[in-house]
Amino acid sequence: MSSPDKSPAILREAAPTPSVITKPAHLQKTPAQQSLTPVAEPEAPRATPVRRLWLCIYLPALPLQALDDINVREAIAVFEGREGMQRILLADKKASAAGISPGLAVNAALALLPALCLRERSLQQERQALEALAAWAEQFTSFVCIETPSVLLLEIAGSLRLFGGPSSLRQRIATGLESQGFSALLSIAPTPKASTWLAKAGRRVCILEQADLTSALRKLPIRCLGWPDSVKEHLSGMGITCVGDCLRLPREGFARRFGAGRLLELDRALGRLPDPRQSHRAPERFCSEYELVEEESASDLLLNICQELLIELERFLLTRQLSVQRVLFGFFHLREPATHLTLGCVQASRSVQHWFDLLKIKFDQLQLPAPVIAIRLAGGQSQSLTARTSKLPFNNAGKRQSEPIAHLVERMSARIGDESVHGVTTVAEHRPQYAWMPAGLTESAAVSSYWCEESRVLRRPLWMLPEPRPLPVEQGAPVYQGILKLLDRPERLETGWWDDDGIARDYYIAVNPAGIHVWVYQDRRSGDWYLHGIFG
Amino acid sequence: MADTLEKLLQNPHLWRGRDQANTPGWQGLPSGYPKLDRYLPGGGWPRHALTEILLEHYGMGELQLLMPALARLSKPEDSEAADDAEAGWIAWIAPPFQPYPPALLQWGINLSQVLIVRPRQESETLWAAEQALSSGNCAAVLMWLDTLDDYSSRRLQLAAEKGQSWAIAFRPLKALAQASAAVLRIQLTAGEKGTDLGILKSRGGRPAVVRDYAG
Repeated sequence: MSSPDKSPAILREAAPTPSVITKPAHLQKTPAQQSLTPVAEPEAPRATPVRRLWLCIYLPALPLQALDDINVREAIAVFEGREGMQRILLADKKASAAGISPGLAVNAALALLPALCLRERSLQQERQALEALAAWAEQFTSFVCIETPSVLLLEIAGSLRLFGGPSSLRQRIATGLESQGFSALLSIAPTPKASTWLAKAGRRVCILEQADLTSALRKLPIRCLGWPDSVKEHLSGMGITCVGDCLRLPREGFARRFGAGRLLELDRALGRLPDPRQSHRAPERFCSEYELVEEESASDLLLNICQELLIELERFLLTRQLSVQRVLFGFFHLREPATHLTLGCVQASRSVQHWFDLLKIKFDQLQLPAPVIAIRLAGGQSQSLTARTSKLPFNNAGKRQSEPIAHLVERMSARIGDESVHGVTTVAEHRPQYAWMPAGLTESAAVSSYWCEESRVLRRPLWMLPEPRPLPVEQGAPVYQGILKLLDRPERLETGWWDDDGIARDYYIAVNPAGIHVWVYQDRRSGDWYLHGIFG
Repeated sequence: MADTLEKLLQNPHLWRGRDQANTPGWQGLPSGYPKLDRYLPGGGWPRHALTEILLEHYGMGELQLLMPALARLSKPEDSEAADDAEAGWIAWIAPPFQPYPPALLQWGINLSQVLIVRPRQESETLWAAEQALSSGNCAAVLMWLDTLDDYSSRRLQLAAEKGQSWAIAFRPLKALAQASAAVLRIQLTAGEKGTDLGILKSRGGRPAVVRDYAG
């Protein structure tokens, strides 16, 4: 046991927190009491007590499970070079049954089992696997942090309600990990360090309250803390085997002997000091590829794969509360350049069904030059999802139940063409051909008040011809399916000098023998008659 | 006795054929022309069904015939006068000319609910019409078709029922001889005064000729 009365110089160097050194020796309590009391003074300013809960996913077999091209029938072991020697790091069940254990030299392992499939540890693959898992875990919480080499930390205090409590959430995560082929140890504790230690110790615990933390950590063996071997040996030499023993030691002596960092770790684990973590964010732009085993041209199969990719896209967007307005499919061929297919929608969306409907329409028209060997789906620029609150369904039982109009418009423009589907709006303009224009369909276009005010005076036809049609003249009157009879005095429309399309026309409402009312005009410059509209 | 009968009539299990026209599904959409309404079952255009209008030339008054009803259907949702359960978009599929927005506005159509679709082929017209009808967005879908076989008209009728939408198909006079699943078929001809309207087929009504319907 270390003694508390040492020279102050060393104390100052080693002590982690000011509160330890400021206390004179005579005021110090007995070691056991002192080590359990909080380090900071009660009145010291602390962050607002936001309750946090950390779920630790410890993947003990990650070096094995991150390997991508393993043959399940072979015995596999992963080795790594350590101190100039290649030693076994991890062995699978079959290899372990043959007596291959971690720490064994590679040569000795091969002597035991000549058919052993040996792989060098790939930290890069492990990192990729962890990142993929972190992206997957973002469906459970917005705060995922990667602790290399093999730990994921999820802050779940905010997710408990949604997922039905800690045990239900843990069950869901465990099932998900298992289906992806990862064996994991999960534990829940109020501090990240404590949950990591508990997971590494294989304790499937769920500690919700800070108060229960100390008693849970007490029995934890020192070897689970991931401390250097020298520290562990030193401690076991002193007869200290568990965290509880450590906590009984005087603080400054502990810090001096084993380093301030160790004491800091203990304090953080117990929640006496804050332990800030950095949240991991997966890339914001979606891109995923599916490679087929051989070339395929069956459209059903290709569509199925596309749907899988879209489901992946939806999950990606859902975890980030994003949506995309454009997605790009690439169909790769062995001997031809890739075929690209862009899908766009009026209103950003992330629904699989929506994108799939659009894809089916476009896919029918797509001519693939050759069988497909790979499909890639890339999301366009993503934007945050804008949801709209809909009205409460009171008193409108007969109200039409419908999808957004945008979906209908998208389906139509996907098949017929963008410019063939549009809305209309009016323009404050006296020349008839300029008095309207096509409008977008999602934003409600402002209707010019010009036509609202003029509407009582001027009669306009419901049908307009895209271009005025010249009319022949018989007996001094224009002819459209018979001689036209002019009904009223002319309405004179003139000028438009500002855009070089000036007009000088006398418009008449006329009726032909069949009773069709038309809108005709006489060009005042040439005297020719034209048909411009039909009253319908 | 009269009391008992009255009670019996109030019983919701009792269904009377004569009341058919008063049940919500059969209540017609007022056409805006009282003279015409008298000849239409339910006192107006059939809702959620296919109406066929046969005509020789475009411009015989076929749009004016529909305008008052369409204006009713396109009223914005928050408007007091709106026929709440029915308001929605009005789709124009493959119109022969350009529907002129200032004139639509004069007739009281809400331009922000007008959708114009110009397909390249007849088959696309049918497809677009079916999509628009069954989506449930459109209160009315106007389409201009040269050919429409019995099978397609049945599909349109079903789509109209599904999406609770009013389908209006404009067709040339030569389609007169073809069978059609339309609930209402009318023919427009030029009369001595204004346009005459012949009801050729009407579910729940009878064939009739309405002379100068607007008069």
